[in-house]
Amino acid sequence: MSRLSPSLRLGVVAVAVAALSACAPSAPQTAVENGATGNDGDNTLTIATTTDVVNLNPLLGNSRTDSWVTNLMYPRLLTIAADGSKEPALAKSWGYSPDGKTGFYELRDDFSWSDGKKLTATDVAYTINTIKTQNPTGGVVNGFMTSLVKATAVSTTRVELQLSRPDSIVVPEVGFWMNVVPEHVFGKQPKMDDFPNNENWVSAGPYRLSSVVKGQSYTLDRVEPYPLAPSGKPSLAKVVFRVYPDVNTEILALKKGDVDVIGNALPPAQVKDLKATNGIQVAEVPGLGFTHMTYNMTRKPMDDVRVRQALAHAVDYPSIRAVAVQGQAVTANNSPITDSLKEFADPSLKEYPYDPAKAKQLLADAGVSGLKLVMIYSLQDPVIAAWATMVKDSAAQAGVTIELKGLDRNTYLAKTAAGDYDIYAGSFAIMDEPVSNMSLQYLPEGAINYSQVDDPKLTNIIRQAQSTVDPDKQKTLVRQAAGYVHANMIDNIMYVQNLNLAYRDEWTGFNIKPSELLSIIDPSSLAVVQKK
Amino acid sequence: MSAIALPGIEVDPVADQESAASATWYAFRRNPLGLIALGMLVLLTLIAVAAPLISPYPRGFSTDVLQAPSSAHFFGTDSLGRDVFAEVVWGTRISMTVGVSASALAIGIGVLVGMLGAYFRRVDAVLRLVVDLSLSLPVLPLMILVAAVAGPSLGTIIVVISFFSWPEVARVVRSQALSVVNLPYMDAARLVGGGHAWILRRHLLPAVAPVVTVSVVLTASRAVIAEAGLSFLGLGDPNSWSWGRVLYESQQAGSMTSAWWTTLFPSIAILLLVVAATLVALAYNDARNPRGRES
Repeated sequence: MSRLSPSLRLGVVAVAVAALSACAPSAPQTAVENGATGNDGDNTLTIATTTDVVNLNPLLGNSRTDSWVTNLMYPRLLTIAADGSKEPALAKSWGYSPDGKTGFYELRDDFSWSDGKKLTATDVAYTINTIKTQNPTGGVVNGFMTSLVKATAVSTTRVELQLSRPDSIVVPEVGFWMNVVPEHVFGKQPKMDDFPNNENWVSAGPYRLSSVVKGQSYTLDRVEPYPLAPSGKPSLAKVVFRVYPDVNTEILALKKGDVDVIGNALPPAQVKDLKATNGIQVAEVPGLGFTHMTYNMTRKPMDDVRVRQALAHAVDYPSIRAVAVQGQAVTANNSPITDSLKEFADPSLKEYPYDPAKAKQLLADAGVSGLKLVMIYSLQDPVIAAWATMVKDSAAQAGVTIELKGLDRNTYLAKTAAGDYDIYAGSFAIMDEPVSNMSLQYLPEGAINYSQVDDPKLTNIIRQAQSTVDPDKQKTLVRQAAGYVHANMIDNIMYVQNLNLAYRDEWTGFNIKPSELLSIIDPSSLAVVQKK
Repeated sequence: MSAIALPGIEVDPVADQESAASATWYAFRRNPLGLIALGMLVLLTLIAVAAPLISPYPRGFSTDVLQAPSSAHFFGTDSLGRDVFAEVVWGTRISMTVGVSASALAIGIGVLVGMLGAYFRRVDAVLRLVVDLSLSLPVLPLMILVAAVAGPSLGTIIVVISFFSWPEVARVVRSQALSVVNLPYMDAARLVGGGHAWILRRHLLPAVAPVVTVSVVLTASRAVIAEAGLSFLGLGDPNSWSWGRVLYESQQAGSMTSAWWTTLFPSIAILLLVVAATLVALAYNDARNPRGRES
């Protein structure tokens, strides 16, 4: 799927979290076994975050904390496993008609909204159709709906999606990324963009917002029954999100016992120290996205494949992973289909070796000398900010001068949208669907085409993959496209980072999900976590 | 401006200035705190100038991340294994460059505006309004905004800091100049046919020079703090080392709580420079005051 722009990512992740929690029936059992000594769930779990809530409408693009909060209230149809595969959540099963032009979700029948109304296929169809027709600002789900005509509730538990053409993306991606909202509440609003959803919340998740102190804390209370919790009862009485100014104060608060979990991933350099700290546990969360640099192919001389290859050879990937990411990352082999997606990854693709001499030779072959480039990255991503200087230094060995522009988030997003950069550095939280991802990244009109690539050959391969429903043929095409991207250095995918989350060790039973958006505070985890 | 020979007027003030300067220096030397502070400023300047001789430029990385201070790394290492001592030494160069450049720019604008306001009374109201308006602006948020929009670079930082520092200088200079423009020797200069530029340069500027000297030092130290603040917020130049950047990288890496050396040493450097600059300014101010010299 997508590589989301930062805000999108957050939203998406949050949504994913909700979905995850909603599904994953097996996790509760584990947690119950681990935490059977808990005092009947009369516990409050406090989660530290560094980002404040922007809005509480899950259909809009929003911040990470918004997503974490709304995921606990609005379920997803599907959840996701560490390898990107989809698992049931609110939907028991999903798929397509034989001709591929109708998709469907078969829902569980035991979900209710916190005001007592049943959650039915009507709510799901309403949510899908609203996103399709209104394309709420900042939301990512609409991007998967290009083939969707409309959704219809054909029974209380079955939703059918009428498609204009066979499309293997729409059902799994909408199922995972979309939070289902109550029609009887959201349906009263004429326009989603104008609906902040900041009071009288109605939840179908394990918890429901009860109080908001803007900029400080967000408190959610338990909702019963929640079908995916053991005996229908979420394990915590309350979940509190508390906003801190930065990760240093979060760590102090965790050590002191003011908070139980740090919601955002730890800076790599802090993992070792916290692992050795009494009373604190660190959970490793598998990465399902990647970190990359793209070279703006509309600008000379990056339109020359030799220059892009030279730049790829001028990056010391192993050192970046060892030092800046502290060994908490694995190579992506410069391929957009990383080993996280085992089924699709091509083992024959290898990382470009760090070789300044070869880089110099390639630049000389291309007739380029004294190359000076500007690299932009977001200051909100401390890991990229850390290795940006390493990229600059290693490029200097190859005679390339890179000027670093670490930007605040809004400027970064604006420059990204305008394509105003030579080199772009960023990361995607979840890249779960190869064809969908590559469509968004490498088709000329792709929403996250940060290489600015418009290559007819690559476009043709991706379009073929989009329109086929044969899994084997699709896999072949995906590998072919990934190989083309790799060989022509259209996107320099650097590594997949595994994240680390810290929590106090009196808690047990966390259910670990991939990415920072889901991690250990996904609903499936918070519905079952217990105090020892 | 006119090149009129005015021997009687020119020679005596110069002689007066020389004797006043030596008297000030004599008084300054009697202030031990001022001398120590001056020594500290000289030392920091030497470190800035001789940085390449003291330590190699902190670039690259090493696997010795977040190592505590030791004989191998006097100030320990940061989250990329770089030597904090080298960062602080090279940071001295950038921090002082920013301080001196921003201060020079701010002083230039401030002195010009202040003197023009005092000398040309017709424009004074307008200039005073501009200065008052500038002084009432919320400086820090505006600095952050401008630095964020313009993008992080050394030039941006210098311009932003000086742009928000000149009004104070202008106000101080104006008030000093106002007490001088109506003195008889200024009238005499006008009567002998001296042009405005000549009078401003040869008579008004020397009269306000002492307050300018104090302003230079204080504005420079404030500029260093402002640079550290902006860099700490990530708005500094990521291509060069300053004390603020060392602090910023520590904060970003979450090592403020676990690696005290990444914040302590650059903070001490900032403290030393600012305290030394303030003490020198105070000592100078006391020394040039004849009453202070007598006491």
